[in-house]
Amino acid sequence: MSKHSQTKMIFGLFIPIGLVMALIAYFVVDRAKESVSDLPVIGEIPQFVLLASDSTAFGTEELKGKLSVVDFIFTHCKGPCPVMSANMAELYDKFDGHPEIQFVSITVDPLTDSLGVMQEYAANFGVDDKRWRFLTGQIEDIAELCEKGFLLAADDLPGNHSTKFVLLDDQARIRGYYDGRDPASMTVLTTHIQSLARQLP
Amino acid sequence: MKVFRRLALISTIGTYLVIFIGGLVRVSGAGLGCPDWPKCFGRWFPPTSIDQVPGYFDASRFNIVLAWIEYINRLCGMTLGILILITAILAVKHCRHNFKVMVGALSSAILVTLVGFQGAFVISSELEPFAVSIHMLLALLLASAMIYTTQHAYYEEDKRTEEKTVYPSRTQKFIFMIWIITGIQVVLGTQMRSKLEILAQQFPLKTDLEWLDQLGAFSHSHMGLGLIMLLLTILAGRRILVGTKSLPALARNATIAMLVLISIQILLGFVFMLIGMPELARVFHLWIASMFFGATLIIYNSARRARSHS
Repeated sequence: MSKHSQTKMIFGLFIPIGLVMALIAYFVVDRAKESVSDLPVIGEIPQFVLLASDSTAFGTEELKGKLSVVDFIFTHCKGPCPVMSANMAELYDKFDGHPEIQFVSITVDPLTDSLGVMQEYAANFGVDDKRWRFLTGQIEDIAELCEKGFLLAADDLPGNHSTKFVLLDDQARIRGYYDGRDPASMTVLTTHIQSLARQLP
Repeated sequence: MKVFRRLALISTIGTYLVIFIGGLVRVSGAGLGCPDWPKCFGRWFPPTSIDQVPGYFDASRFNIVLAWIEYINRLCGMTLGILILITAILAVKHCRHNFKVMVGALSSAILVTLVGFQGAFVISSELEPFAVSIHMLLALLLASAMIYTTQHAYYEEDKRTEEKTVYPSRTQKFIFMIWIITGIQVVLGTQMRSKLEILAQQFPLKTDLEWLDQLGAFSHSHMGLGLIMLLLTILAGRRILVGTKSLPALARNATIAMLVLISIQILLGFVFMLIGMPELARVFHLWIASMFFGATLIIYNSARRARSHS
């Protein structure tokens, strides 16, 4: 075989091999993308109305049409809440300029967390618009919403509250739970918000 | 010797396959598909359902597709490691007299072990950009060591190759310079990728092109160096193809490959600039860079051998 035909044969082989690899890569990347965007529907938030720190009513209707990240905290909690709220604040900053993505923190100690206390807590985390709302209400209503609506444990509140962040889609359906204290989970949550946001009408 | 040479060639091809799969892991976002190492969610096989994820892992981190992509990458890496270790054992057994083959095979065995263990650090650092770049650089060094071993195993079988070859003056230095710039480009590229991933986390809803815009000096230097490389490669390629006396087939093919690969890289660069960064193009951009790196090394080895004959 001459040098030139040998070269032709080698480079001729590269084209089909390259095409096969491109096909495999396409399939793998496509499946990976699909696995991140096809989040399961875990549950639906029932009708509820609570009171936001700016004295307006906030309920299921306010969740619809937007993506929401919800957590349950109380302002004088010395355990996981400061880390959870710091992580929530980071998400709030990341999605600055996107009113279609909102953050909701519901107090599990409404007796202590008055509207004023919650406003001060919000200001400490740099909240300056309505993208991050702080809600209060009757403890029985909050415990029921937490347990039956968000499917999180609500025994022995406020001390034993869940540390999960809950991702809701624009129809107030639960699409994922994330450890509100874990930076790696926050990375996953960011990717899931990004993916759902790109599917918004 | 023939068995050794064949195994070395298979290991070299295997190294490039694993580099390709590694690139695929990166672009599909599966780097943390298994958050621990060497196990995956505390198991030797990835969990098949969320119920199998141990309580000490946050369940939101489990994605069966990403876990399997990363797991297959590890399996392929491990198979490659075994192949390279066998190659090194065969080198000790059959090629003790050939210093170059021995050095190449033993360095490959050390490097493949290092890449594997450094992979554990990449995972535990949660894909820290510097750790990822070192991982890629080590993989490139491994590919270089394997090419060096395979090429010298061929020379061992046919001692007369490059005997009559005379390259134009300073070819070796010229190619070495391109090889070094390629290494810099790969490091710059992986750093850019890492910065893009950080930007994607900071500004998740911006587009590829908006993230690229924010890279500034990084992307300008990568593009500028790319164009310089194109120029240098055309010059070097022309000099070698036209000016070399009795150019061996392997070096000739490597020179043509070098020219084809750099042209594809520049085209992909324009695709990134104009329409963003499709995942498929990113996988090939990285893989082609590693093949270009290998092609330059083949020519360098050939030029060096020709010089030692003269």
